[in-house]
Amino acid sequence: MKMLPDGAEDRLLSNADQLANVCRENNVQQWDIIGFQAYGHQLDIEAGKITMAGGGGEGGFGIRVVEDGRFGFAHLVDVSGAERAVQQALSIARKSPKIAGFLLPSEQEAQDVPGRFDAEILNVHPEDLLEQADGVLSAVKGLDERAIVTGGGVGVSATAACFMTSEGILSTGITTSHGIGLQVTIDVDGELTSSYQGQSSRTKMEDVPSCVERAVHWAQVTQNPLRVESGAEEAPVLFTSEGFSPLFSMVVPPALTGEKMVRNESFWSEKMEQQVLHESLSITDNGLLAGGMASGSRDGEGVPRRTQQLIENGRLVKTLWSTRDAAQQVAEGRIDAASSTGSAVSGGHQSPPSTGCTELFLTSSKKGKSWDELLQQMGDGYVVNGVMGAHTANPSSGDFSVTTSSILKVEGGEIIGPLKQAGLSGNLARSLCESVELGVDVRRQGSYSSGSMHLPDVLLSYGLRINPA
Amino acid sequence: MVMASKRGEAHTPSTGRYLETERVREALEAATDYGATYAEVRVVSLTESTVAMRDGQLERAIPGQELGMTLRVLANGSWGVHSTTDLASLNDQIESTTRLAKAVASRRAKGERPIGLAEVPIFEDEHHWKSTLDVRHTELDAKIEHMNDLYRGATGHDDIVSVRTGWSDEHIHTELMTTEGMDRVWSFQRSLIHGMVTARRNGEVVSYRTRHGGQGGLEVIQACDLVELGEQAQKAALRLLEAERAPSGKMPLIADKDLTGVYIHEALGHPCEADLVAAGDSCLDGKLGHKIGNELVTVVDDPTMMGGYGAYPIDDEGVNTRPKVLIKNGVLTEYLNHRETAHHFDVDPNGGARAQDGLHHPLVRMSNTMIHGGKHKDMDALMEDIEYGVYACGTRGGQVDTGRGSFQFAAQEAWLIENGELTRPLKDVSVSGLTLEILKNVDGLTRDASLASPGFCGKGQTVPVGDGGPVMRIREALVG
Repeated sequence: MKMLPDGAEDRLLSNADQLANVCRENNVQQWDIIGFQAYGHQLDIEAGKITMAGGGGEGGFGIRVVEDGRFGFAHLVDVSGAERAVQQALSIARKSPKIAGFLLPSEQEAQDVPGRFDAEILNVHPEDLLEQADGVLSAVKGLDERAIVTGGGVGVSATAACFMTSEGILSTGITTSHGIGLQVTIDVDGELTSSYQGQSSRTKMEDVPSCVERAVHWAQVTQNPLRVESGAEEAPVLFTSEGFSPLFSMVVPPALTGEKMVRNESFWSEKMEQQVLHESLSITDNGLLAGGMASGSRDGEGVPRRTQQLIENGRLVKTLWSTRDAAQQVAEGRIDAASSTGSAVSGGHQSPPSTGCTELFLTSSKKGKSWDELLQQMGDGYVVNGVMGAHTANPSSGDFSVTTSSILKVEGGEIIGPLKQAGLSGNLARSLCESVELGVDVRRQGSYSSGSMHLPDVLLSYGLRINPA
Repeated sequence: MVMASKRGEAHTPSTGRYLETERVREALEAATDYGATYAEVRVVSLTESTVAMRDGQLERAIPGQELGMTLRVLANGSWGVHSTTDLASLNDQIESTTRLAKAVASRRAKGERPIGLAEVPIFEDEHHWKSTLDVRHTELDAKIEHMNDLYRGATGHDDIVSVRTGWSDEHIHTELMTTEGMDRVWSFQRSLIHGMVTARRNGEVVSYRTRHGGQGGLEVIQACDLVELGEQAQKAALRLLEAERAPSGKMPLIADKDLTGVYIHEALGHPCEADLVAAGDSCLDGKLGHKIGNELVTVVDDPTMMGGYGAYPIDDEGVNTRPKVLIKNGVLTEYLNHRETAHHFDVDPNGGARAQDGLHHPLVRMSNTMIHGGKHKDMDALMEDIEYGVYACGTRGGQVDTGRGSFQFAAQEAWLIENGELTRPLKDVSVSGLTLEILKNVDGLTRDASLASPGFCGKGQTVPVGDGGPVMRIREALVG
């Protein structure tokens, strides 16, 4: 079964051309068209076995029109409906407020970003995935006979994309991805523990990626919880990269968008050029990262991506802008000048681009510490490898109050055992202002907002409250 | 190439068909010839619209037309699935999808049960829940007018820095044909309006979210006093500016209808999903017929509750819907099932199969989930004997680990209860617990139960849901 049909990219481009012609025939002042067609295979795993094999293809087009600074958008699957979609978009544009100075970006030279396509993935057949899944299930059993994969799956995909504008930008290409996610459960006499771990890559991964061992490990180490009589306490917390990422991605990237900043909706509003994190910490958005899941030559408006430092040694130095956001905030007088930072993020063909990060790195000027060194430095505290409810964190304030069942108690730098469950609350922005230690092993994680989070293990020492169940 | 629907115009096929029935019948027969014991083709057309405004100005309006088809084949007791936007490709996928199912089946270990499907009545019919005011005929101006009502209520205070409002409506048209002869077409609509009010004072930023919506067309939105909804959101956001951080620890908790709904959705609804039970990922495995909650607690999941955001006329396997009593007087009585899990547990399917859209296969999902009302007159009656506790209202969502039976949900705002009275406003209140402990700790419910704000549920796929109940008191909950 061939994953990517012959000529997929060409046919996508040809359909985009049809849409462009409709825009031209309607004398649309400016337009851009984004098109995707994704193909893939995937397997579902439940109750320790493969339960379903699937595949298919899906896609569509989004059309954005701009007339006198007013924009409209429509999406469709069937290009025979192009005329209707363009008319809908124009009709919406006429009802939209004018943004003085809003013009679609012109063509600029963009840099190729390697590592986002792997021909080997195109040759992965469903049978290959079945073999990989068999291998994963065996590996889990091999690591712990009691462990069962109660959920998850493996999959590969190839996505043909094209971006075409009235201003002469034309970009096409194919990206690939290979992903795995698994929920591993261990049930000993009704004492059930579990851990979900996932991993993905633009290139073909090894058959049993490291997340498999991690999932088994965390299901194991949370068995036999300690009996805890103590109440809530302020304590340092050593987050694994996996445990930290959900909170970090929910709170930090939205706060770095220029629009939120100038609208006073970010906890870092009015703090440009000020210290907002501990002086050892920096945050960089690398839109040109080779092999990145969210990097690429151009952003969702066709502007070349770039690598940009947003927080430098704790000081806020830059925020993220799309062309439209920048024009709107300048036109409405909230900021004197702003321009695109190549940070328009396309959410697919069904919505116009928004603003967000791509590949966000949290780094420290201090030397990274090993896991054992971090435990030693913490002394007494907790290790957290996952939280429930990160999506309920407040991105406006940085406050969060979540629950974890993947938590270990640490005394004197030694892990003494897991807790069954605990509440965890605090303010992430404030905790990151205090002493923060980072681990050495940086792992890429997914995101609640946009892009990928490249995070090591993170030790936060202040402002966190643990509330054991 | 992207798709090949024959319908180019008038995306209003409530009385028409996307599937060419003869061609699909041939394809399904071919699946049987290749060795399928069951096959189905389900196509879903979504005519949808979303609108976003900020501070009374239109930010974006997005009309869209999406179409997707999923072919599902059961062969040798395993599933093969193919999803596509290209309806014309159906016949080309039959053999390969059946082969895929067989390849999965060939890996089944000795002694493992093959997948089977519970029998269901076969229908050839159409069901269309007509809206009074069809979303497909609602002009953008009308939507903007309603969103501005919400905005007007929410704005007008120096500390309110922004008011975002949003609109979403959709017409869902589904066609299902199976090798068993099922040939059903159904359609219905949903409408939703929502707002996010952000307030700022002395560098402190807070936000409050409000929603109104349900199954139906514009009439759903018209039934709400949107100015008042906006005013309430403004007041709540301003209260949050004054709020203190919540206390931590185990204490009595009173939850409003919104939070009661999220609680019952997370703590009980998910562990009742039979696909999770069958996979060994539910704390309610083996608990049917057992008393798992206080006898005050009766919980239903009801997709037939028209107007609820989680309502639907027929499930995505073509099974007629009905209310499901999950807990009756504290006793677990029924899981949510689709055909596969019903066969696994040797029960009748109860219409719990839902797919996000035409490109996803059905999973066991909730619809409108509610706790029935109790005996307490009102909230004061629930609160009067609480010396120190928390009253929490509104929801910022929740999450559950169904296997461990642990859950978490977060309130939008809260108050401290001291000596039977509400005293200080609190913020960032979350509640966590264990399903099998906390259901027993429910010790008070007001008489009036109703669905609360509409919501969305994620389980790999996102579907709209309704949930609610009465105001609920939990004797002891872990507040964070």
